[in-house]
Amino acid sequence: MNYIHKIKLYFFLLLGFQLSAKDYIATEFGVKNDGITLNTCSIQKAIDFIHENGGGRLVFESGNYVTGSIYLKSNVTLQLNYGATILGSTNPFDYVKDKKIGWMSMIFAVNQENIGITGKGTINGRGFTTANNMVNYIHRGVYTDPLKYDRPNETNRPQNIYFRECANIVITDITLRDPASWNQTYDQCKNLYVDHITVDSKSYWNNDGIDIVDCDGVVIKNSYFDAADDVLCFKSHSAQHMCQNVVVDNCVGRSSANGLKFGTVSRGGFKNFKVTNLTIFDTFRSAITFAAVDGGEIENIVIDGVRSINTGNVIYLRIGDRWSSGKKPYMKNITISNVYAEVPLGKPDVGYNFEGPIEDLPRNVSPASIVGLVENKIQNVTLKNIQIVYPGSGNPLYAKRGLTPAELDGIPEMREAYPEFSQFKELPAWGFYVRHAEGINFENVTFTALKKDYRPSVVLDDVKNATFSGLVVNEPESVGKQQVFPYKTSNLIIK
Amino acid sequence: MRKNLLMVIPLTVLLCFHAYSEDYKASMFGIKSNGTTMNTHSIQKAINFISEKGGGRLVFYVGRYLTGTIQLKSNVTIHLEEGVTLVGSTNIYDYNINGTTFSSLITATKAENIAITGKGVIDGQGRDLAYNLLDQVQKGILKDELANDRPALRRPKGIYFRECKNVEISGIMVKNAAEWVVVCDQCENLKIDKITVDSKAFWNNDGIDIVDCKNVVISNSFIDASDDAICFKSHDPTKLCENVEVRNNVARSSANGIKFGTVTSGGYKNFKIVNNKIYDTYRSAITIATPDGGVIDNIFVDSLYAYNTGNSIYLRIGARWNKGRTGSMNNITIQNMYCEIPNSKPDAGQEYEGPIEDLPRNISPASIVGLPGQYISNVTLRNIQIVVPGNSNPTYAYRGIKPADLDSIPEMPAAYPEFSQFKELPAWGFYVRHVKNLNIENVTLTAQGKEYRPAIVLDDVQGATFSEMKYIEPGAAKKKQVHVYKSTDILLKK
Amino acid sequence: MQKLFLKIFLLTVLSQGALCAKDYNASLFGIKSDGITLNTQSIQKAIDFISEKGGGKLKFYVGRYLTGSVQLKSNVSIELNEGAVLVGTTSIYDYIGVNNLKALIMADGQQNIGITGKGVIEGQGAGVIEQITKQIQKGYLKASIAQASPGLIALSNCSGINIEGINLQNATGSFIAFSSSKQINVKGISIKKPATKESKALVLKQNDGIKLENLFIETTEPEIQSDGQSKNITMVNCKNASGKNLMLKN
Repeated sequence: MNYIHKIKLYFFLLLGFQLSAKDYIATEFGVKNDGITLNTCSIQKAIDFIHENGGGRLVFESGNYVTGSIYLKSNVTLQLNYGATILGSTNPFDYVKDKKIGWMSMIFAVNQENIGITGKGTINGRGFTTANNMVNYIHRGVYTDPLKYDRPNETNRPQNIYFRECANIVITDITLRDPASWNQTYDQCKNLYVDHITVDSKSYWNNDGIDIVDCDGVVIKNSYFDAADDVLCFKSHSAQHMCQNVVVDNCVGRSSANGLKFGTVSRGGFKNFKVTNLTIFDTFRSAITFAAVDGGEIENIVIDGVRSINTGNVIYLRIGDRWSSGKKPYMKNITISNVYAEVPLGKPDVGYNFEGPIEDLPRNVSPASIVGLVENKIQNVTLKNIQIVYPGSGNPLYAKRGLTPAELDGIPEMREAYPEFSQFKELPAWGFYVRHAEGINFENVTFTALKKDYRPSVVLDDVKNATFSGLVVNEPESVGKQQVFPYKTSNLIIK
Repeated sequence: MRKNLLMVIPLTVLLCFHAYSEDYKASMFGIKSNGTTMNTHSIQKAINFISEKGGGRLVFYVGRYLTGTIQLKSNVTIHLEEGVTLVGSTNIYDYNINGTTFSSLITATKAENIAITGKGVIDGQGRDLAYNLLDQVQKGILKDELANDRPALRRPKGIYFRECKNVEISGIMVKNAAEWVVVCDQCENLKIDKITVDSKAFWNNDGIDIVDCKNVVISNSFIDASDDAICFKSHDPTKLCENVEVRNNVARSSANGIKFGTVTSGGYKNFKIVNNKIYDTYRSAITIATPDGGVIDNIFVDSLYAYNTGNSIYLRIGARWNKGRTGSMNNITIQNMYCEIPNSKPDAGQEYEGPIEDLPRNISPASIVGLPGQYISNVTLRNIQIVVPGNSNPTYAYRGIKPADLDSIPEMPAAYPEFSQFKELPAWGFYVRHVKNLNIENVTLTAQGKEYRPAIVLDDVQGATFSEMKYIEPGAAKKKQVHVYKSTDILLKK
Repeated sequence: MQKLFLKIFLLTVLSQGALCAKDYNASLFGIKSDGITLNTQSIQKAIDFISEKGGGKLKFYVGRYLTGSVQLKSNVSIELNEGAVLVGTTSIYDYIGVNNLKALIMADGQQNIGITGKGVIEGQGAGVIEQITKQIQKGYLKASIAQASPGLIALSNCSGINIEGINLQNATGSFIAFSSSKQINVKGISIKKPATKESKALVLKQNDGIKLENLFIETTEPEIQSDGQSKNITMVNCKNASGKNLMLKN
């Protein structure tokens, strides 16, 4: 874990540097905090001035600052004091769709270094209104967009933050709210430090909490996310890049999609991750989803300490073949340990704005799953000290997938499908379903079903070298039931 | 005086009635105070229920109550306790836009003994609502000509009462309607007291519109509106506004402070307008106009104070939508008035400032303008001081006092009546045309800078007496300040 | 007969040409008349859209439209109807410069453009000057007041310009500046209340073909600043505040 040490050292130096830089008060540049005046040009002027004069912090004191798209420049930190709120303009024409990035955003930075957004203030994109205004302009023929799913494409809705190819970024203490698209994207950046931030964002579709795309050297810690879409989301848009050397510690997330997610776009890959002390609750899909569906490589991932309460699914690992373009994806050396999880019978995110979509019906509660491809197996996965409590009550009259070879082989491979834990509809296990994998190690794992389920706890299909030691299965009225069902599986050891 | 007594009696009866009625809490009917629950149907149910039970008060306690159009019924009072905001939906389809009556947040038709009381707020959210309507028009879902680039039809008013009797609106604040704010149309026995109108949310935000009503008292209220603040109208040629008292109010407007008109089909009779203040107002402190054939008679204005208003007094007969009627204006008295007119725009910085128009012109005078053969008659102006900035520039705009210049002032019978409509006028203090029996007493006109125009021009005036006049203009001690043209029986005392 | 036929033909062609130039209401683009919404990007979007669709009029009706600098594009004209006021923001960084000219309405290298109607362009000069002075004093703005002062209209390298009927007031820089432009018509406009003594009514540089008719100008003398390199200038009934007829040589 040498790289983590390096990152920490670096940020220490960086913080030292910033302390010596000068502070500039935003209102001094004619920026107004009245919540009405559109300040885009004045804030940009202030950033440019500080950038050209040796760097420093642009300080927003308590008040409401409305702006459209601005570009952060090297050696400039936006300091949002307690009570300061940067409000996104609700007029979509006040935002730039950056030509290089291809997305709209409120705060951009491209090819800059030593930049940051700090302080206890808030960035509020007011995205619901902005997105709806955009819809109106599209209907009037003033803006062009196909309105797929009756909403503007996510690239035609502003994010709060989009940094691209930047280095040495500090994001601390701020609250991010309600963009019209993703909250914050760091794309091909180096040395990103995120600490003590809050994301509260259920204002529109695609409200991801944080998106880390092809970054090297990332720390995210002590942060809280409540978002309509995936909360801690790592992506790889470029086959030539990947996300690597990442530490996530002491974060809490709530989502109407996934908690910790790799993908969906996963062209390059994800390597050397350490995720510790993660809490996911009231989350519609999986607490943890790793997807290598676009040719990406996933390797050396350590997850230690997860509490997953009231989430629709716990773990979903998936290799697919969606946009691989000839590249061969792999997923190996994954360790997930010390997990306590509760999966409910009802919808976990009910009552939240922009609830996740009900789909892939009919199916009973889905198991955690590890699903590779026939020719491309998921390798070396260790699950240690895991407790998952399921509702059970799988009802075969509603949806049934039995254990006959025909039924198991009837589960579609869905190589090109969007990877989601529910994609196969009904699966034949209530606890864990593993297919096309090699070297699966369950150590001290307990599965509990609160009510009787017609399915066994675990189904293994096309698995090589699986070891279960200390497996405990609790299910009412099921004495003598075979809870681990291997199929086309070799070298299975149950201790 | 007897008239006033008559008006007091029904109001007393009304108040007694309210004191005996039963109270119903809003929550009884499932009305929610969270600001996001749509309460339209619950509130309507409550009103219907209370009305059917013989009447009472529907009482709202602190909170935000979202609603669309609700219709008040006989013997029901909506009582808004302090801390209550009744919030209008921003969705146009939550309003009565398909009916035969005007759309409005709170409406009532042919109801008796109704009231809105308390210290709460009614907030129409009119700007967003108007934008929502505009958007539906832009998309072709609703039809509207978009005259002046905004919807002319359907914009909901704040309160619209039609043909109601014994009406009280008191204590509350009404904010941000999408159109006129408080409107009473063909109502009888109406009391508006201690209300606040704060409405600059959109165009045509008249503060209070009284249309063809009888026995009206508007008192102790504060009005800040982007269009006319206290406005009397007459839409029906068979009806008129009569027996009206306007007392102790303060008003600001990006149009007129107190206005009679614009639509004036029937007319106005027996008005007492006493002790009112107008400030930061773009057009006239008081405009009395009959452009549509209405009859105006017996208007008494006392103690009107106007600070920073674009014009002081504008009296006008026109012939716009007359349909065979002949407008008249008789027996107008304005006394004890003080008015200051600025050089800059009086409503600068307000939201929805009044429009800059009728250029080029220098500062316009107070005007009393009838039509040829249709004289405004028996006008008394007594104890009045008007201060104007002066400094007119004849190169920018010029109207001299030669016959050709004066005759070139258009009659404009069909035009919208506004003090600035004639563009440049030949006087800086008073321009009087087509008037009979004018009595001006103890009037002081002050120009703070030099003027190329005289203070007063009389054109086609039959019978006028001026006494105790004072003209103050720098460097103009010997200037002839009154120019008389085509007029008879003009008596200038002192 | 043939002549008449030709006339009809020409009229038909002309009217069809006029039909192509569509009218667009400002509200279509979400431009707000409340005086507080900064409309810069919406107006710019409208201009770009109309220009891309082949041209037309962007119509503003009664109301106050707050904006920063916008760029006029070919075949677009802004129509300010009576009561419409285009209000320049007092926020000085919302003004941008092109070719060393900085103004509320700008155009560079465009053809067939116009600003017409009985409305007003309001520069809010006092507020702008105050901001400029403050920013210079604080050291954030490195320019002289004159350099930083935005004009109201600045057009360069354009041809076919029509400015008619409007009222311009409270400019900080020059009211109207033309440089290296052709076929310029300015008719029946008033220019009032310059915010500084340096505010010029008209600044002319190397233009060809300027017709100025029925102007009222209230700026300090000389009201028109010319580099003497403009050709073919016609002036009819252009008066200053004291009623003097303005003359311009060459």
